[in-house]
Amino acid sequence: MTDEIPEHARDRLKGLRSSAHSTGVFTSDFSVNEFLLVRKAGFEPIGLCVGSCVYHVGIQYRSWSKNQELDVLSKAMYHARELAMSRMRAEATAMGADGIVGVKLTIKRLEWDEHLLEFIAIGTGVVHGEGHPGFRAHDGGPFTSDLSGQDFWSLLHSGYRPVEMVMGSCVYHVAHRGILAGLGSIGQNVELENYTSAMYEAREIAIDRMQYEAEAAHAEGVVGVDIHEGSHGWQTHVIEFFAIGTAVLPLAQEIAPEAIPDPVMVLSVND
Amino acid sequence: MGIFDIFKQPDAETLARRAAHDERIADIQSSLQRREVPKAIRERLEGARSGRRPWTATLTPAELLITRSHGLRPIAAISATCWLHYGWSWTEGHAEGWHTALRRLKEEAWTAGANAVLDVKMRTIPLGIDNSMDFTLSGTAVRVEGLPQSDDPIVATVPALEFVKLLEADVVPTGLAIGAYYEWLNDWLNNTNLTWMGNIESTRLSELWQHVRQRAHQELRTNARPQGNGVLAHLNFSEMFEREGQNKQKQYLARHIVVATTVDARRAAAIPHDVRMVVDMHDGRTPLVGTTPHHQSYQSNESEGAI
Repeated sequence: MTDEIPEHARDRLKGLRSSAHSTGVFTSDFSVNEFLLVRKAGFEPIGLCVGSCVYHVGIQYRSWSKNQELDVLSKAMYHARELAMSRMRAEATAMGADGIVGVKLTIKRLEWDEHLLEFIAIGTGVVHGEGHPGFRAHDGGPFTSDLSGQDFWSLLHSGYRPVEMVMGSCVYHVAHRGILAGLGSIGQNVELENYTSAMYEAREIAIDRMQYEAEAAHAEGVVGVDIHEGSHGWQTHVIEFFAIGTAVLPLAQEIAPEAIPDPVMVLSVND
Repeated sequence: MGIFDIFKQPDAETLARRAAHDERIADIQSSLQRREVPKAIRERLEGARSGRRPWTATLTPAELLITRSHGLRPIAAISATCWLHYGWSWTEGHAEGWHTALRRLKEEAWTAGANAVLDVKMRTIPLGIDNSMDFTLSGTAVRVEGLPQSDDPIVATVPALEFVKLLEADVVPTGLAIGAYYEWLNDWLNNTNLTWMGNIESTRLSELWQHVRQRAHQELRTNARPQGNGVLAHLNFSEMFEREGQNKQKQYLARHIVVATTVDARRAAAIPHDVRMVVDMHDGRTPLVGTTPHHQSYQSNESEGAI
């Protein structure tokens, strides 16, 4: 760190108000470190973008003893997220953002009705400081990404740019075991193969859908993939696999790996 | 003390202690009404300011090092509270409560001879006493060497390390902005009843949410404008309730509160440091960050129902 505090900062500390904010006020939910890194990467935050969706999930019929995808629930989870995300993106477009960084996607159950779920997407709209147009998504709109400010900086410095936050969802019913099957395995350790295979299939469907979205966005790859297993208050045998990540493309030209500086190893002595 | 002692006359010492207590409480109340710093606190702060009494700081040793190397001198740990009853609106009471506490904090900073307050934390004791809540701020009043005392000190709701990091990048954290908004929705036509509709968006509730959140963020901008040109909103809190009104018709209340640190930043200013990638060899959470959340007054939505 340098010991210098710039002149403008000193004036500000003196209590001098730089009253002429021609650009208006930006809003963001960045931490201090994120804020500095996003600026270091050449971007400026302009405003928080929010998308909300309250969704009524329809009734799903299922068979007690079958492994199966619950398509009504899958579609509902997917559609509702899509609505919240697209509203957030519309806000970003309206404020002229080149992209949205640090999108947080949350689901809440509304306590008075078990069929109602609330989806919220919040992120910070950013613009490129010099107005470079090359950071927009394939459709000319703002890119979206769930990367933090730190991850955003790192991604750009490894030669990639975010294109779109991609996701895939699969709600799945794991079959109940029959009573006879239970009797047969008393006193033994056995793998419950139908449970295992149910997990495999459900996970695969979710990842596959996410990958399909990445292809549609003309992406080269997906970083920061996270696979959640959730059960949003459904019955015991119902699980949701949700895959989410940020689809990326090389910056005009991919940086050769040897040109990327090696990280320095440190051991901090403060604890 | 025997059990019949309560019938005895209290001795002189007890009486004196009680009198001192009453006097102190009376002074705190009247001072706060007159928008002044209570006497006992004023004496402590003036002592620290003149160097007659030791300085106090909420900073860690590492933070002390960095503030001293950047010409900041800690004076006193200060705090302010406003316990507010929500007469008419819970949501909007939050803006009022924090702003009153903020004003009092600035008065203490002035008394301590400071021109900035760092490491300001927002605290609430979860007592849940009927329709009220305390809004408490605490931080460290500092003097930037070579600059005069300010009657409108900078209030930074970030730790000292981050304060210095921001200053170096020509960004000044200036204060606290609150955006709070709520709205009732009366569902006269029973539009929110979707029991047999299958997969469908509840458009009325979505619109309500979207509107409430947008308005809260709008409030945040308005509130931030006199203080700086941007905010780092570290807290987004929202809640929705349903209740039955007359004729069994449904009513919904949605509210959203955003709390943010305001900053004054020059657009597209260069950041003086190179960023170097490091790999921390610590196991577990890296101590390099050293940042705990500076608020605990709201249960943040983040832990709940993450994706």
